[in-house]
Amino acid sequence: MQMAMELRNVRKQRRTQTIGPLNLKMPEGHVIALVGHNGSGKSTLLQMLLQLTHPEAGEIQWFGRNYTGELSLELRQSITYVPEVSLREENGWSAEEAASFRSYWYPKWEAQYFNDLLNQFEVPRNIKLGKMSKGERRKFEIAAALAAHPRLLLLDEPSSGLDPFAWKKMIEILRRYMEEHNATIVISTHIVEEVRRLADYIVLMHQGQMLGMAEKDSLYGLWNEVWVNLSDEEELKELSKMFPDTLHWTMDTPGVASFVVEHFHKIEKRIHDLGVHVIKSRSLELDEILSLWTQGHYPELVDLERGD
Amino acid sequence: MMWIPIQINENSAEPLYHQIETQLRALIISGVITEGTLLPSIREFAGDLNCSVITVRRVYQDLEGEGMLRTRQGTGTFVSHVGDNARKGFKRDTVTKALEAAVDLARSVHSSEEELKGMFQEIVDRKYKEQD
Repeated sequence: MQMAMELRNVRKQRRTQTIGPLNLKMPEGHVIALVGHNGSGKSTLLQMLLQLTHPEAGEIQWFGRNYTGELSLELRQSITYVPEVSLREENGWSAEEAASFRSYWYPKWEAQYFNDLLNQFEVPRNIKLGKMSKGERRKFEIAAALAAHPRLLLLDEPSSGLDPFAWKKMIEILRRYMEEHNATIVISTHIVEEVRRLADYIVLMHQGQMLGMAEKDSLYGLWNEVWVNLSDEEELKELSKMFPDTLHWTMDTPGVASFVVEHFHKIEKRIHDLGVHVIKSRSLELDEILSLWTQGHYPELVDLERGD
Repeated sequence: MMWIPIQINENSAEPLYHQIETQLRALIISGVITEGTLLPSIREFAGDLNCSVITVRRVYQDLEGEGMLRTRQGTGTFVSHVGDNARKGFKRDTVTKALEAAVDLARSVHSSEEELKGMFQEIVDRKYKEQD
């Protein structure tokens, strides 16, 4: 598998924390979602991928190549970026003016596609970018990033400020772009639904560290919350000791206890054989699985070195 | 491009690729999706199902390995010819599985062999009569 980007022992000192060491391979042709709390290092990672900031240690490869010093012009022209905060330099321009400037820089710029996207997004024409609402500006940025036909698209919280209709449109547009081009998208997001709809891989960051990369689909149905009939705390204590890999044992109401477990089907029969009645179980949602992962309960991680 | 009626259950412990593969195989063998049909591209299908391209790619590869699909470079993935033997085998397998599940259930509520056979005969008689 060709890698769009690879990080090896990358470190970056920030005011309050050290980011890294980061080790990560991002396979080409996929959507990779960066998730994590505010300040976990997602934006710093994106900025390093663009050389907007440089790591103090380690190395980054783009499409299998090292770039000593600056990225080549050709490579820079095939990467676009939607930053968390739009550039002030373009505030005085209308969408068309900004587009005509950007089209000089990006040789693969497609004006027709850009116009289509502005229409689909209903971005107002002939008003300055600086006068647009946050959502309108965001939609312009996404349209402009795609119109340059990037091989690599980096999105930092792209949906902040978008209403639900524009959000849905953005998802459709990004999917269609991925369908038509063998592009790679790295998207930093807080929105679980966005991860659910777009991501192939999830990279979890926490306090400047990377907690690994997992295949999104492998996370579904992984963890369950289970309710059982138990008479009291004593029984609870006893049962929880028999299943050391279970978590969050609670006596919910008299006679009913609950716990959380990975791969519930593996212990279901044993519980049943102990004469414990399972009242019901539910699969944990993606956000709950991510939060368990943050707490150190890792899912199966992707190891691209080892192959599939 | 045809729409493929597949339903996935994100809450199931069964991996997504397995759910999709089982259903797609059934649709092909039962003839709902006919020979020569062009399937959606990997990214498009993944979008329809809200799953990852990795999952769809795995399904296409597995079914290609079974000879059920073939991929033509630049055109896409098509349904290939499914032999009568495969169809017969599939019919047998699916019915067997359903019957086995019913027998397991009967045993778990302590039905006797005689009782179960009686019930089975009664249901067969009733259902086949309804059809005629």
